[in-house]
This record gives sequence, structure tokens and C-alpha cells, in this order.
Amino acid sequence: MWKDRKRLGILVALGGGVLLLLWYLAPWAVPHRLFGGEGVLLSPFGHHLPQGTLPPGYRDGWLPWVFYPSLAWLALTLVLAWTPKPARKLYLLGILGLGLFLLTYLLFQASVAQVNAGTERPILRRYTLGLGSYATLAYSLYLLLLARLFSPGGLAFLVRRRGVVVPLFSLLLASLLGGVIVAVMKGAPGEAQTLREAWMLKLDLITYTYQLLYSPLVNPSGFLQSLLLATPLIFTGLAVALGFRGGLFNIGAPGQLILGAIAAMLVGVYLPGPRWLVLPLAILAAALAGGLWGALPGWLKARFGAHEVINTIMLNYIAASLFLFLISSNEYKFFGNTLYLPFKYPGYEARSYEIRPEARIPHWTELVAPGGELSFALPLALLLGLLGYFLTRKSLGHRVLMGLLAGVVGYWVGGLLPGPAVNFGPDLTSVRLNGAFLLALLALLFFHFYVFRTVGGYELRAMGLAPKAAEYGGVLAGRKMVLIMFLAGALAGLAATHYVLGGGIDEYRLKQSLPYSVGFDGIAVALMGQNTPLGVGLAAWLFGILLTGGLQVNLQLGISRELVAVLQALIVLFIAAGGFLPRYFTDPLRAAEVELREESRKREEREETP
Amino acid sequence: MNLDAAFWIALFFSTLRQTTPLLLTALGGMFSERSGVVNIALEGIILFGALTAAVVVERVEHTLGPGPHPWLPWLGVLSAMLVGGLVALVHAVVSIKYRADQIISATAINLLALGAPSLVLTYFYGNATNSKEVANRLPLWGPEGFALSPLVYLAFLLVPVAWWVLFKTPFGLRLRAVGEHPEAADTLGINVYRMRYVGVVLSGVLAGLAGAYLAIGFLNQFVRGMSAGMGFISLAAMIFGKWHPLGILFATLLFGFASALAIQLQGTEILPAVLVQAFPYVVTVLVLAGFMGKSRPPAAVGRPYEK
Repeated sequence: MWKDRKRLGILVALGGGVLLLLWYLAPWAVPHRLFGGEGVLLSPFGHHLPQGTLPPGYRDGWLPWVFYPSLAWLALTLVLAWTPKPARKLYLLGILGLGLFLLTYLLFQASVAQVNAGTERPILRRYTLGLGSYATLAYSLYLLLLARLFSPGGLAFLVRRRGVVVPLFSLLLASLLGGVIVAVMKGAPGEAQTLREAWMLKLDLITYTYQLLYSPLVNPSGFLQSLLLATPLIFTGLAVALGFRGGLFNIGAPGQLILGAIAAMLVGVYLPGPRWLVLPLAILAAALAGGLWGALPGWLKARFGAHEVINTIMLNYIAASLFLFLISSNEYKFFGNTLYLPFKYPGYEARSYEIRPEARIPHWTELVAPGGELSFALPLALLLGLLGYFLTRKSLGHRVLMGLLAGVVGYWVGGLLPGPAVNFGPDLTSVRLNGAFLLALLALLFFHFYVFRTVGGYELRAMGLAPKAAEYGGVLAGRKMVLIMFLAGALAGLAATHYVLGGGIDEYRLKQSLPYSVGFDGIAVALMGQNTPLGVGLAAWLFGILLTGGLQVNLQLGISRELVAVLQALIVLFIAAGGFLPRYFTDPLRAAEVELREESRKREEREETP
Repeated sequence: MNLDAAFWIALFFSTLRQTTPLLLTALGGMFSERSGVVNIALEGIILFGALTAAVVVERVEHTLGPGPHPWLPWLGVLSAMLVGGLVALVHAVVSIKYRADQIISATAINLLALGAPSLVLTYFYGNATNSKEVANRLPLWGPEGFALSPLVYLAFLLVPVAWWVLFKTPFGLRLRAVGEHPEAADTLGINVYRMRYVGVVLSGVLAGLAGAYLAIGFLNQFVRGMSAGMGFISLAAMIFGKWHPLGILFATLLFGFASALAIQLQGTEILPAVLVQAFPYVVTVLVLAGFMGKSRPPAAVGRPYEK
């Protein structure tokens, strides 16, 4: 027990030291920031730095009101960590710290509001808290974590949630390393007089970079944009995750996406007919083409034992060639004979003809508010669909069918109900989020049901965990392999509907700028999401946020957007290494050992206390 | 249209040039896999090597001023090898020490190689796709008209050297033992981890060399995505060549020939260039499907070793 308490005390002291250092070195708030990242930095030690000027009337007298209580709080944590039964006290102190952060936030917002009040245009437009304040928040969370960890059964609690702990810890590590990269690559705006100021500027630059990266969370159009960018990532993430679940590594999502895009374009451009027929057919074609392209390496592996990793990558390059072949020219020479193709749209740019209006996936405004009136069709369909699913007490097939039927009824009834008129601003309507996002959500549901609720999914998981045992248990391994790769390819192919049919970039057509490398990003998404549908959805959204924020970083700070790609790669690397956490976070057997040990300790403790 | 002697001679030399990076990388991959670690990060390491060579040579040129500096490209080559080795070391640490899935760890490095060069290029040159051209490329050795880069000679020379190292030295024996049966090797007192580190780092050094060849031997700058799947093709060639230097030589020559043919056919009216570019990739798929069944990888490849 004493050893544990000593460890806790040291950990708290370490965290407290870092906190104190950050309080001293980093700005607490940046009330006024210019384009390019330059700002007026506010810190309780000394005064704001001479960068730009604060508008008249800005009061920073609130800072001591927060700083001195915070110091007392810090001292208290350092002392109480060494007293008996520290965990409970640390819980309270952690919550107190959260309160202090909230206080800082409120006081800062009030001081900004005071300046902006009464002026026609707000004087302070870009203003944010600084790393100093965030350090308070981080330290509070750290205290809460330590408190949980050092109460009985705490380690087992953490180990049991390793599916969340490892990705989050990897994200944290990657962010730290990303911060170092930013600091090295980018000179801080403004001139430092002292060493401390130099630190302050660098730390502020890193903080601002991450604030921009996560800014889509608090900005409506950025939020929609993050959903837009998450849409293809959900599909490709699922494509990779399905492979992982079945013990196959699908690096072929880019190629499968390309084939899906080609098929969607062929149906969308050349098949006439009514909307209810053409649109589903185009979507189906995308899935089918992607699926077949994915099934090919699956078959090669099943039949010849050729490793799917290299084959899927080769098929990516072949697909890219095929894609360029179709849309970059209409006239080719074969051994002196000329071949004419009908696919390329006339003009300099390599692109196809436009998708017919019937085959387009509607824009989000058309779904949410067709004709400017808020529609209840989708929400009602969702509600009734869920009700139909959960209230049916029969087999899975019946439940899904009932859910679908109820959903259709809901959509129809909701469409008839009159809704209030709404008007989205131009910055919201210009976001090209479309119905493919709903398709992506359906794909998540499909993944969940297929993998975790059906016999086929059970066999798939068995293949992934122990291929030989699965085969002995009656799984036809070869066929299953082809099927897994077909489904994975179909999911990746569906990502193309977002770009081609949904106009995800800017046009309803196949273009050379088709960003098929999102197929590779799917690997990061699948790993981050630990191959579960909920995880994949959240991870895709996280990367959607980062990619959207990356644009802001590029625009305002001139740091290449590829910073996000580097972050993704680092996350994958760290997750692969189990977040550099102790072995029991990656090894299920050792995890079980830890749980047993902790359980017995918990029991001992319970017997001691009364 | 006639295919005259000039076409065939050009095709021959083009084959040698195209084979060189594949051969270097595949020999590296062989050392890594013989030690029991799959290294599909070679693709990314080639890019890192190419980036390093181009940037180092250009930056030093920039500070030294114009004028030929015959030693400068060699500095680029050395730094590319160094960086290649370091990047491979990351893969080695993650997959050997932390027992990560070797394919995932390597894929992370490949993803890194997609993003990181843009950051470096933006930092130095303000654009995200290519570096400035360098003036001091690798020299050409040989008679007028038939001159080849020294790295071409080196690559082909490395084949017997690799054979000798692998099959005639104690080091080679230990390396193979570690890849076939690490437990047995460990019992005999061979340091499994150290041998694996050496194998992986060696593969990185050679892939870095291949990258340097691409950036300052074949071209005179770094271009985004310039490895174009060569790392993966090398791995296919290594499998096709049955993890043996001689086999690898013939396999890479086949792939080099396919790429060279693709280049030589461009601009002719025989086949459209965009389709011809897919040649080496199609050959890879066909080769893997046709011959994979007959070759046997080192028994412990892909399995983390736990003492």
C-alpha cells in the first residue's frame, strides 16, 4: 500500500511540476489574434507581450483572480497526494480543477464581451484561451485518472477498456510529436526578447495550430464540412476493418474506390430512366464493381496463396491506370489501329460527362429542407425504423424488415407533414454534404449486423482469430476469403458514390482529381476505431475534423495540410506499438491476469475495511 | 513502324537502369525477411531516401555556391542511406521490441512517407510536390553513349556479395537461423533481437540507396510519389526470386524489363502510354499468382519473437 502511495505521490508531483512550468512558460489566453497567428499573449507572470496591441478598454484584471486560487489548488494536490487514502481527495481536487478551468473560461469570455459590447463591429474577433489554461484542464483530468487508477480495481478498469485507451493514448502521443514538428518547421510569428518569450511564442503557435485543427467542432459550417470529409472515410475505414476482422489486410481500398467510381459514372451517365430506378442501380453498380475488384485478390489468395497485401496494392496502380485510360483521352492507337472511346468530356481537363440529374444523390439541404421547408421525413423515418426494429420480437431478419418498413412509412408520412420554413446561410449551403452520408451510416449498421449478428459474420471473425480452427469448424476458408474481400471492396466502392453521384468535391462527374488515396486513410480509421462500427464512425469523424481544420491551418499559418496525414500515420504507428503502454494493454492473456490480480486485491481491501 | 537496333539497345540500357532500384531494394528486403521481419515499409523508405538525397545535395549546393562538387552527390547518397537505416530502425523497434503487427507498422511508415515529404518540401521550397533541381547529380561511368550510374554497377555487384554474405559467412548463417527457427538460434546463444535489428536496418540502408539513385541518379530532384510502387514490386520480386540473391536478380530483371518496355513503348503507336504504365504491376500480380505456391518463405517470417 505504502509503495502505491509513494508512486501516486511521485506521479502527482511530476504532473504538478509540468503544470507549473506550463503556467510560467505558456500564455493563459490570447484575447486578440491577427491573421497569420500573431497575437497578444496574456499570462499571470509579467504582462502581455508586445505583439499587436490590445484595444482600449480591455481589462486583464481577472487573471490574478484565477491564478492565485489555482496556485493554492496545485499546492493542495501536491500535499494531499501523500496523505492516507489519497484517491478520494484527488477525485475532489480534480473536480475542483475542472471548476477552476470553467471559471477561467467564463472570466475571459466576459472580459472579451465587455470590450465588444456597444461597438458596431466586434473589436476582438479571434480570441482563444491559451495553453496555460488548457494545462489546468489537462492536469484536472490527469488527477481524476490517477484517482481512478489508484483506487482498488483501477488498473483492471483501464485494461478492460484498452480498446479505447490505446487509440486515445496514441492520439495524444501523435499530437505531442505533431507539436514538436510544428515547432521545428514553423517559425513563431513575432520577435522574442527573452528566452521565456521565445518559449511562449512557440507554445502559443503549437496551441493555435491545434485550436485550428479542432475548430470544426465549434463552427457550424466546419462541422458540416467535417461530416462531408468523414463520409468516404467511413466507407474505406469499414472496408479495411472488415478485412481485419476476417484476418485479411485490405490495402486495396483506393483501387476498389476507383472501380466503384467508374461503374457509378457509367450507370449515372449512360443509363436513362426514372430516379427510383437509376439512382439505386448506380449505387449498386459502384458496390458491385468495387466488390469484384476486391474479390480478385481474395481469389488469388484462396486459389494460389498469393499474399493479398502486395496484390491489392498492385491492383491500386492498375486501377489508377485504367481510370486515366478511360477519361484522359477518347482516341488511342493500338498497333497502328485507332480505338475511339466515348467517355471523356470534350476539353482540356480529364473528366467524364456529367451524371444525369436522376442519378444524383441529393444535397443535404434537399434532404433536410426540400423547397426551403424543414421536412420531418428523415427524422420520422429514423424514429419509426428504430421502433419497428426494437419492438419486433422475432428473428433478426424479421426485425430488420419491420424496421425498414416502418422507416419507409415514416418517410412517407413525414414528407406529407408541413414544416416551418428555414433559411440556411450561404456558408452552410455551400458545404457539399449529401445523402451519401446517410449511406455511410447505413453501411455502419450493415457492418454491425453482418459481423456481430449473423452466422456469416461469426465465421468471418473466426477466420480472423484462428483460420485453422475456423476451417476445422466447417468454414469454407477459400470461399469465405473471396466473400470477405468482395464485401470489403463493395464498401470501398460505395465511397465513390459520395464523390461521383453526390458531387462530394464540386461536380457530379468522374474527374482526374478523384482523391482515391482516402482508401489509405481507411487503414488509420480502421485501426483507430479498433475495427468496430462505432469506433470506425467516430474515428472517421475525428479525421474529418482534422482534415477540415488542416485547411484552416494551411490558410492561416501556412503549414502544409499534410500535417494531418503525418498525424494519421503516427497514430497508426503508435497503435501498432500498443501506444507504448505496458504489455497487458495489448496481450489479452496478460490483460486477464491483471484483471484477476486486481479483483483479488479489491476483495482483500473490502475485507480489511469493515 | 519498325523496331530497329537503336530501340533494342535503348531498351537494354533502360532495363538496367530500371532494374537497379528494384534490385537494391529487393536485396535489402531479402536480408530483412531472412531475419524474420516482413518489411513492406521499403516503399516509404525509398521515398525518404530520395527526399534526403535531393534535399541534402540541393541545400549544400545552395550554401557552397555554383560550381561542380564531385563529392557532393556521394554525400547525398550517404545521407540517404543513413536516413533509410533510421526509418527502418523505427519499423524494427516497433515490430521487434513492441511486437507490433509487422505489416501494420510498416504501413504506418508508408503512410508517413505520403505526408512527411510535403512538410519538408514546404519548409524548404514553399511547394508541396517537388524539390528544386540539383546541379550535382551522380556521375556516369562508362564509354560515351553507354555510360551508367555507378549505383547501377554497385547494384549488380551486390548480388554476389549478398550471396557470399548470406551463405558463406557466420553472420549469414545466424541471420538465416534467426529467420527459420529463432528459438533454436536463441538456444545456441545467437542474439535474436540483434540479428533482426541488423537485418531490418540493412534493408533500410539499401532502400535508402535505391531512393538516392532515383533522386540524384535517375532524375535530379525529388518528386512526390516518385517511388511509384517500386518497393512493393521489389517485395514481389523477392518472393518470386525465392529469397535468394540469384533468383532476385532474375526476378528484378524481369520487372525492370517490363518497366523499360513501358517507357520505350511510350510515344510509339503500339500501345497507349497510360495502359503500358500498368505493365509492371500486372506482371507482379501474374507472377505472384503463378509462382508463389512453389516458393517457401523463411519459417519465422512475420512472427514476433518472444524470449
